[in-house]
Amino acid sequence: MTHPHWTLSELHDERTAALLGMGLGITFTICFVTGLWSHLVQTPPSWFSRPPRPAGLYRVTQGLHIATGIAMIPILLAKLWVVYPKLFAWPPFKSAAVAVERLALLPLIGGGLFLAFSGLANVNLWYPWPFGFKEAHYWAAWITIGALIVHVGAKWTVTRSHVARRVPPDAGSGDRRAFLGTVAAAVSVVTVATVGQTVGPLRKLALLAPRRPDVGPQGFPVNRTARAARVTVEDGGATYRLTVTGRVARELSFSRAELTGMDLHQARLPIACVQGWSASANWRGVRVRDLLAMAGAAEGASVRIVSLQESGAFRSSVLQPDETRDGDTLLALEVNGEPLHIDHGYPLRLIGPNRPGVLQTKWVTGLVVE
Amino acid sequence: MGDGLGGRVNSDHGARFRIALVIGGAVMAYGIWGVLDDARATHPGSLFVYVVGADLVHDLVIAPVVCIVGWLLTRVVPEPWRSPARAAVLISAIAVVVGWPSLRGYGRARVPDNASVQPLDYSTALGTVLAVVWLGTAVWATVRVTRRRSNEDAGNA
Repeated sequence: MTHPHWTLSELHDERTAALLGMGLGITFTICFVTGLWSHLVQTPPSWFSRPPRPAGLYRVTQGLHIATGIAMIPILLAKLWVVYPKLFAWPPFKSAAVAVERLALLPLIGGGLFLAFSGLANVNLWYPWPFGFKEAHYWAAWITIGALIVHVGAKWTVTRSHVARRVPPDAGSGDRRAFLGTVAAAVSVVTVATVGQTVGPLRKLALLAPRRPDVGPQGFPVNRTARAARVTVEDGGATYRLTVTGRVARELSFSRAELTGMDLHQARLPIACVQGWSASANWRGVRVRDLLAMAGAAEGASVRIVSLQESGAFRSSVLQPDETRDGDTLLALEVNGEPLHIDHGYPLRLIGPNRPGVLQTKWVTGLVVE
Repeated sequence: MGDGLGGRVNSDHGARFRIALVIGGAVMAYGIWGVLDDARATHPGSLFVYVVGADLVHDLVIAPVVCIVGWLLTRVVPEPWRSPARAAVLISAIAVVVGWPSLRGYGRARVPDNASVQPLDYSTALGTVLAVVWLGTAVWATVRVTRRRSNEDAGNA
């Protein structure tokens, strides 16, 4: 068998394609499942109750989503390179089935590249496109995994026989080993250089990550600053009030000093961002369930947490019943022994176990019992 | 040259493919419905351009460039240095891709008051990563060359 030499023919064999394809199938599935999970906990449908335990679950699933997505980049590019000569197969369609199979490659490859690129850009807060990242990334993932199912259907048999070495390889195994070893090394390099944004002990190695879990006001990162959210706290918080309203027996209103004088509870909980960084901190504040009891709200109510932030998708969030019952769901006044920095939500922020970072509402001014 | 693959049957278009086509087709249709249903956020036209554009940029730009670089390396670098040289170039390219948005400071430019976004000096950081990559591949190359020489010596003895 001969190939034009410019395609570096010795690498374009089916076993290499099969092994890389299997790697892609696994990494893409991990990204899809963890991505769906993130979507589910961020926008829970009526039938779904976000579990508050284990407290670090979202940190793990989202850290895995981003780390797997980054690790997928070299595998995806290597796989596309290995199968590149097939683009020029002639005749292009030998049968209707081949035509359909090849047509599905368009959303598969375009979608895979788009998901990798848009995800990498998003973790870097870079948006070189007109659409909403979350929606475009989410729906493109459905289209791409649909195309992947079609592709796996066509390639299942051949991939299995090549992985199991039931067919003789096309070319020298030394070259293949060197190539696959190179891809594995590339995966290792980009993983080690980024995963420290969520795996604390490796943070010093996170040279290519857009975040360091120990860099930011009070020693951890900020997603949205007070200035970006257009939040100002007048008179250093002297006129600040927290109100508890809605379906309550008696409406309550507190100054920050009154809250500070209450029975405070401490919890060590992570802030886990959808963009893949996370950091644990020691939070101290008032238990939400204590405030609800004082207001005479029904046990296990849902509560809307309202921020001083006047606009934006995350100016309020909802605590579901299992979350309001959890003793670690706090309205925090302090972090790591200091009053909150305004970029971390001074005068008061929500912090609860296993909530995505964007739902840990900052600058809280109201609890509305639903 | 036929299909360029030695005439080997490399796809299965039997029952498994047809079932996968039905399921995968339904999932794709759901995704396309979602894009169109949420058109205000997804901008279907430009999303289409980005997805198809990704295909085209890969097939018409990235892959040919990789082929040319690979061919040049084959021409310029003799074995046993060739595989380590290829590895160094490939891993470096991937590291540059992953580090590119940080290196360019795109996120920081968008939120200049947020010092926790892209907090490092990324030219130093990326330089360090590349230095480690080239050092690692140099060690690998040296091991390869030494091993090959000792094999040749053993063969000559």
